[in-house]
Parts: sequence; structure tokens; C-alpha cells
Amino acid sequence: MKLRTATPIVLAAALVLTTAACGGGGPAQPSGDGKSFEFWSFSGINQKRTVEDYKKINPSVEVKLTEVGSSTETAQSLTTALAGGKVPDLVLIQGDNLPQFVQQPQNFQDLRQYGADKIKGDYLDWVISQSTAKSGEIIGIPTDVGGMAVAYRTDLFKEAGLPTDRDEVSKLWPTWDAFIETGKKYTAATGKAFVDNAGTSVFYQAVNQGPQKYHDPSGNVVYATSPQVKTAFELAIKSIQAGITAKQSSFEENWIAGMSKGDYAVVSAPSWLLGQIRDYAPDTKGKWDIATIPGGAGNWGGSYLAIPKGAANPKAAWEYISTMQSPQNQLAHFLDVGSLPTTPSVYQDPKLLAEKDPFFSDAPIGKIYTDSLLGLKPFLIGPDSAAIGQEFLNAITNVEQGKGDPATAWDTALANIKTAIGK
Amino acid sequence: MTTTLSPPRVVPEATTRVRQSLAERVAPYAYIAPFFVLFAIFGLVPLLFTFYVALFDWNPIGEHVFIGFDNFTRLFGDARFWNAAWNTISIWLLSTVPQLLVALVLAHLLNHARLRLAVFFRMSMLVPYITSVAATTIVFAQLFDRDYGLLNWLLGFVGVGPIDFLQSVWGSHTMIAVMVTWRWFGYTTLLYLASLQAVPRTIYEAAAVDGAGAWKQFRHISVPSLRPVIVFTIVTSTIGGLQIFTEPLLVSNAAPLTCGPVRQCQTLTLFLYEQGFGQFQFGYGAAIGVALFVLIIAVATLNYVLSTRIRPERG
Repeated sequence: MKLRTATPIVLAAALVLTTAACGGGGPAQPSGDGKSFEFWSFSGINQKRTVEDYKKINPSVEVKLTEVGSSTETAQSLTTALAGGKVPDLVLIQGDNLPQFVQQPQNFQDLRQYGADKIKGDYLDWVISQSTAKSGEIIGIPTDVGGMAVAYRTDLFKEAGLPTDRDEVSKLWPTWDAFIETGKKYTAATGKAFVDNAGTSVFYQAVNQGPQKYHDPSGNVVYATSPQVKTAFELAIKSIQAGITAKQSSFEENWIAGMSKGDYAVVSAPSWLLGQIRDYAPDTKGKWDIATIPGGAGNWGGSYLAIPKGAANPKAAWEYISTMQSPQNQLAHFLDVGSLPTTPSVYQDPKLLAEKDPFFSDAPIGKIYTDSLLGLKPFLIGPDSAAIGQEFLNAITNVEQGKGDPATAWDTALANIKTAIGK
Repeated sequence: MTTTLSPPRVVPEATTRVRQSLAERVAPYAYIAPFFVLFAIFGLVPLLFTFYVALFDWNPIGEHVFIGFDNFTRLFGDARFWNAAWNTISIWLLSTVPQLLVALVLAHLLNHARLRLAVFFRMSMLVPYITSVAATTIVFAQLFDRDYGLLNWLLGFVGVGPIDFLQSVWGSHTMIAVMVTWRWFGYTTLLYLASLQAVPRTIYEAAAVDGAGAWKQFRHISVPSLRPVIVFTIVTSTIGGLQIFTEPLLVSNAAPLTCGPVRQCQTLTLFLYEQGFGQFQFGYGAAIGVALFVLIIAVATLNYVLSTRIRPERG
């Protein structure tokens, strides 16, 4: 019994202990044999495909790909590994998790030593600047950006007497208020929910559409006073009060089930979500289409490839990055899987502009998603951004589930954020 | 080493006795040493190290800044800590009380002389216990699900409906308590049963001859003779209950580390895990670990004091 008593504490402490034992920088780095490397990715983003493509170009190189789990789980495992375990040679980090790593650049290889500073002009300025540390190290190369749009079910729109053509649908909601009004019409006509939830489909989208999110340009937290945040929060509450949300938390089982069952007709879809819709609801092929996001430009998500300091085969890993993240290969990956390139030189490429997705009623996804990025005003993402976003989401979800008071939700969220991040 | 009963006569008897008794004195310590060595390496050292880490602002991949007792000051002013403590106690009470009562009654029934297939029924008690916690949790989470759950489907027939168990404080606590009870009642039942088997059957027979019914036998024979083992199970379930982790982690897959949007079922260990491995505030996480450790020691001491006061009165 005694041992069991202490088990969780011991476990936590043991992990901490390894931290202390192995923390700090290692000896001079080996460059490896150049013939194999270990790659940690998260699931749902189909890196297998990219790895297979790479093997066609470089058949002699062996890539050991591990899908660790969700993007958050992958970042957690990476942190634990950096603190004292065996690190992979290459790791995929989701944009929201990146700042905490960029703040500690000593844990990663400075990619400038391999020539990252020569190719950084290939990538969107504001995207590569997020993986550039204060002292200049480049620790990650961006693989894709989110870009924003709305996926909707044409069959359900038809039943509700709404237009189904994507241009007409886009015209229904130039603003978020118009989006909510459309939702009311849909719900009144069908008695069913319009959008999956208010947190990710309204708040997360609207808050990402403007020049200043949770931080000001010099890095101070301004979540409490930023008009952009407040407006997005109020829109989310408004959509809940309009009774148009299905109350399904994103990525949960019922959210996935609801996607094929038509529990909601609309879901905000950054480009990386398209692959998930295809995978989770294969029998709805052809019933979806893509319209523009209310409020215009914005970005949600995107990922980076980084090489930890202690990597055994950094050369092979860099070979992979520089090959697969070249503008031409990002374009090829987009045509294959649908993740939007971070390399603006291909945004006018006829192949990208002509790309149509049969699953989504032949929507021109290349054009829709690049348009959503073109007017974008970049905002700063800080190490606390993920925690702040999560607390806002929790407060909104609580109202949506009928437990929280809409009138006090904003103050509750601010208080919880202050407790969580201490400022 | 020989264990001859008659030592060689050439060796003076006294010397042999001294040598043997030295070995005899050392031997027990050698036998128990592996446990204490292992405990020191895997238990004590990490424990002490946790106390040490709790004094720092400890970034696992960055700086370690000494901040003294600031983590503890912050902890006691942190509403999330008190919320987690309350949730833990609430879930523990909701799971332990019914579990021990059910086990008591079941053990009494399983001990019945005329029960057919007794071994089958006794062994089947262990099935929930040997089932993986993750599997149990997934099944129960589906039973209690808001949209597609069996329970809400049944409630729909009587016009009640649908209850969102996970989103309310009491609903989520009940749901987790049911899972904990389900997993442990069989184990506790067998403990009680083993203890009951030591009670001479003649006492029951004599009571039956004197006209005592099933209830009276239960109250006046089974329960009193079980007192020591009841105290034991209360202590162990207290320790286990203060550490509930897996069930709340797995029931809410949208916000697993907080067990729901307003931390309605976040327990202390889950809060520790969220801070340590979710937010990577190792120092703060370690402080929660220390607080939990102190709490468990306090409750265990209280249990010990109570259990020595309440001695079974035989007679």
C-alpha cells in the first residue's frame, strides 16, 4: 500500500529527476550517417504521405516516422524528451505550441548553420518570423498555414431553403452577424443546429482575424483590453443565445459522429481540417462545399519542422526539410493532401489556383484559402497564447452547455486566465 | 552453510552459538533490504527531490529559478487547488460509502452455507477489478453520454431527459464514483469474504438455532467480526480515493486535463498533472505533489488514530 500511495508523486518526481540528471547542453553534435533519421509527427496531418514521397526521391534514406498523438501531446512528449530523454532527429510542432520552444532556442539546432537564412525569403514573412528567436536563431521551417474558410453541407442547406451555390452562400455572410442571422434562418426552417459549436467555429476564427490578439507587438499581454478579443467573445456568446450551435466540442467523438449524421450543417474549416472531414465522414463525399469565412482574412494553425539540439542525425533531417519544404514540393503536397503552402511564390501558380476538391463539390480550395491569407494582418503569438485561448474556450463552452451565465462569462474568463498565467 | 543440528565436537559450542546468532541477527535485515533499497532509490529520493523542485520556478527546458515558498503561497490562494481538493473528497465519499456497503452485503451473501456454485460467484466478483481502467472508463463514458448514451435513451422512455452528466458537478462526480465503485467493490467483497470465512460456521448455526434471522446474523455476527478489515479497507480506499486520476482523465476527451470546461471533475492528481505536464510548471506541479503528500499523511494518521480508538467490543 505504501508504495502505491506514493506512486503518482514518485512518477512525477522520477521524471523531474531525469530532468536534473540530463539537463543542459550535450557535447559536440554528431552529424549521423545521413542514411536514416527519426521523425515525430502528430496524427491527423498525414505526414506518412510526405515521407513516402520523400522515399521516392531518396530511396536510400530510412525515415522512422512516429505519430505521437495530438499536436498538444506531441509538444508535451517533445518537452519531456528535451528535458532528459532521447530526442528525435526531426519533429513537427504545431503553431500554437511553437512559442514556448522559440523562447528556449538552446534546445534546438539553429537551422541557419544549414543555410536556413538563405531560403527564409521563400516563406511568408510573418510565418517564418514566428520560428525565429529573439537572438536570431531559426529553429523551425513552416510546412503549412491554416487559412480559413467555412465548410457547409449543400444537401442540408437545400432542405432549409438556403442557396447552395458557394458564391451565393459566401454572400450570405460577409460578417459574423450575418452568419448568425443565416444560422437562425436555418434552425427555424429545420429545427436543427446550424454550426458545430461557438468556441472553435466562431470565437477561434473571429479572434484570429485582426492585427492584435492576446499580445501587443512588444509582447505584453493585452487579452483583457484587446477589442478584437472582446468582439470575438461577444460573437460567440451571441451565437449561443441565438440557439444555432450543436454544442459539440471539436475533435470529440460526438463531433466526429455528428459530421456524418448532419447534426450540424456548417463547420469552420481551416485548410488542415479538410483532410479530417474526408477521413471522419467518408460517406458524405460530394455533400460538402466551401464558402469564404465571415469577416475576411485570417489564419488558424499551421506547423513547423524543427531539429532538436541532441539529434543524432541532424544532416539527414535537414535534407528532408529542405527537400520537402521547397516551394515546389509544398505545392505538390497541397495538390495531394490539401495543406496550404507557406511559400507565397506558388500562390499564383495555375496548378494551385485550378485545384478543385471533388469531396467538397469541386470547390477551388487553392484560391479560397490563399485569398483568405492575402489580406491578413499578422499578430504576435506568445508562450501563453495557448493557455489564454483554452480559458476563453472553456468559458464559452460552459455557457454553451447551459451552466455558465452569459453576462458574467467574460469576467470569469479573465479571472481564470489571470490565475492560469499569473498576469 | 550447513544446518546441522549437532555441531562438530572439536569446535567449542559457545563460539558456534555466537557466530550463528550474528548471522541470525543480520539475516532478517538482508531479507528485507531489497525492498528498502528499491524504496530509497525509486521512492524516497524522488520524493525528496519533489520537495526540492517545489522551491523553484522550474522550466523543464529552460531556467530553474529559486523562489522559496512562493509556489505554496500561490497554491493556497489558488481557487483551482481548492476546487480540485473538494472534487477529490466529493468523488471519494460518493464512491467509498456505497462500495463498502455493497461489498459488506455481498460478502455476507457469498458466505452463505447453502450457496450453489459458490466458487463461480466468488471469482466473478474479480472481473471488474481485472478489467483495464481505460476499457471500463470508455464503456461507462458511453453509457452516460449525453447524445448517444444508453442511460439517457432509457430515461427518454420515462420522459426524463437527456441529462448531460459530464457538464454538471454532481453528474460528473456521480459518473466517476460509479466507475470507481464498479472497479473496486469485487476486490473489497473478497477481502470481507476471506475474513468472514475465518468465523466459525458453528456460531451462525448456533444463532440460527436461537432463532436469529439473516438480518440479525448479518448485524450481530458478520459486521462485528469484520471490524478490523473494514478499518483496513477504509484506510486503503482513502489513499486510493485521494489519488483518483485515470477515470476523470478519460471521461472528458474534449478538455481532459481539466475534466470539463469549468474543472467540474478535476481531481488533485489531475491538477498536478495539468500543471506539471500540461503547462510545464514543474515547480508548481511539485508543490501540488507535496500538498497532496501532506494531505494523505494527515488523513492516514487520522484514520490510524480513529481505528485504534474504535476497538471491536467482543462479547
